[in-house]
Amino acid sequence: MHIPDGFLATPVWAALDLAAIPAVGLIARRSQAGLEDARAPLLGVMGAFVFAAQMINFPVGVGTSGHLVGGTLLACTLGPSAAVVVMTAILAVQALVFQDGGLLALGANVMNMAVAGVLAGYLPFHYWGQGPWRRAAIFLGGVLSVLVSAFLTLAQLRISGIPMPSAVLGLSMALFLVSALVEGAVTLAVFGALEKMNPGWVRKPAGAISRLRGALAAGALLMASLGALVASGLPDGLESAAAKLGIHERAWNLFETPLLDYELQFAEPVWMRKVAAGLVGLAIIYLLCAALSRWLLRRRSP
Amino acid sequence: MHYLVMEEWARRDSPLHRRDARVKMILLLVFLVWIGTARPAQPEAYAAYASILLVAALASRLPLLSLLWRAALVLPFAATFALLSWMAGDAERAASLVLKSSFSAFAVLLVVATTPMPALLAAVESLAAPKMLVMVVQFLYRYLFVLSEKAQHMWMAAQCRGGIRRASAGGAIAVLFASSHARAEGIHRAMLARGFAGHMPLIRPSSLHWLDISFLATGILVLSLGRWLWIL
Repeated sequence: MHIPDGFLATPVWAALDLAAIPAVGLIARRSQAGLEDARAPLLGVMGAFVFAAQMINFPVGVGTSGHLVGGTLLACTLGPSAAVVVMTAILAVQALVFQDGGLLALGANVMNMAVAGVLAGYLPFHYWGQGPWRRAAIFLGGVLSVLVSAFLTLAQLRISGIPMPSAVLGLSMALFLVSALVEGAVTLAVFGALEKMNPGWVRKPAGAISRLRGALAAGALLMASLGALVASGLPDGLESAAAKLGIHERAWNLFETPLLDYELQFAEPVWMRKVAAGLVGLAIIYLLCAALSRWLLRRRSP
Repeated sequence: MHYLVMEEWARRDSPLHRRDARVKMILLLVFLVWIGTARPAQPEAYAAYASILLVAALASRLPLLSLLWRAALVLPFAATFALLSWMAGDAERAASLVLKSSFSAFAVLLVVATTPMPALLAAVESLAAPKMLVMVVQFLYRYLFVLSEKAQHMWMAAQCRGGIRRASAGGAIAVLFASSHARAEGIHRAMLARGFAGHMPLIRPSSLHWLDISFLATGILVLSLGRWLWIL
């Protein structure tokens, strides 16, 4: 899953490096703040622990075995920001010493596996970590962390124009799904054993603030990353209806938007233009909604 | 083992070993950017990159074949996608995937194999990487071998007792977690007792020799001249 150098198109790796540097810097500062100075040795040794734990293979049945990736486990024990730092350090050592992942592609790998993977893996535990769904939340966290980073990796490779026939894409998705389920099961098993040994190691989640919010967030993350891959060529219902009714041509003149036909103009392959445009559109809608709700709240409160 | 060989290589002596780590790191980054932005389908450009790498490898006086073998670790991944591109009728992209990824891996390998890890990380830190992150990487690299060996011993012991089952594998990792946690606390206490003040000093502090500066200038000059003349 580590992207080597030479695979990503220049805008992709440059943009992800530029995004990863402030993100990791910010999170590193956050994981340092408010904690005793024993933090750096602890985080480093726990990173070495993840490396070592990957040597212990889990039998998964029918002759295959998997191993721990570790993001969710670290997030649930050390806290999410510390886990991001540890996973970033692991990726850096893998790129430098083990030739596993490129140096310019480090930003992409960090964003996929350390930032998005860990945060997605922590999300279910954050919301359902205390309650009847605790075990399910940990399992789901392990599954989500692997799935989200795998989808992001595939999407970045496709944006960069690496040809991936649908058969190969389907096969790799199936493999990723299996390893995601393994990660969930392994995380759950280790978590159970850890809690039995010393409940103090396990982080207290923020509590059930709102189940609905958690469900929405987890579902949205999964749908956004899945949808990016599914929505490749299918026109949506409204568009096909418009085409049937013959108002298709007229509509274009009405809405001359920068996201014309949901495609960003600068990205190369058609397939990923739509996904990029979709994500930009989502971000714009989110910002609009946030601004609107803030405005409404301010009007109501005084 | 693989990484122990790298440690031994980094402690040898050669013209490339003697250059300052910061200079090597900057040149490596420039070289990687150059490869990353190379125009596809230019055989002479790839020949030029290969000859630069060859000169550097000869200057490092490390065994060339073993270097190549280690850089080839990237090939399984690269070759899979190269095969896909080739089957899609894009032979140019297939070639560029394999060449770009293996050249980049070889360049990184050359720098890491000629620079001791503490000096390399100090160089990364002086190039404005977050201090906290560099320190975590330092500890990670230090205890990587210790904990991996422990895990291997545990694995061997479990095999001797008749193999590992799903339930016991979770327990084994939890035990490893517990002992790593305890070790980290012990390490930190021992370091405080030895006067650790939040920073690890280098045994040989690096200073820029005039050779380092001329090496940096030559490297940048060659690369930019190559790009300007449309060779690289």
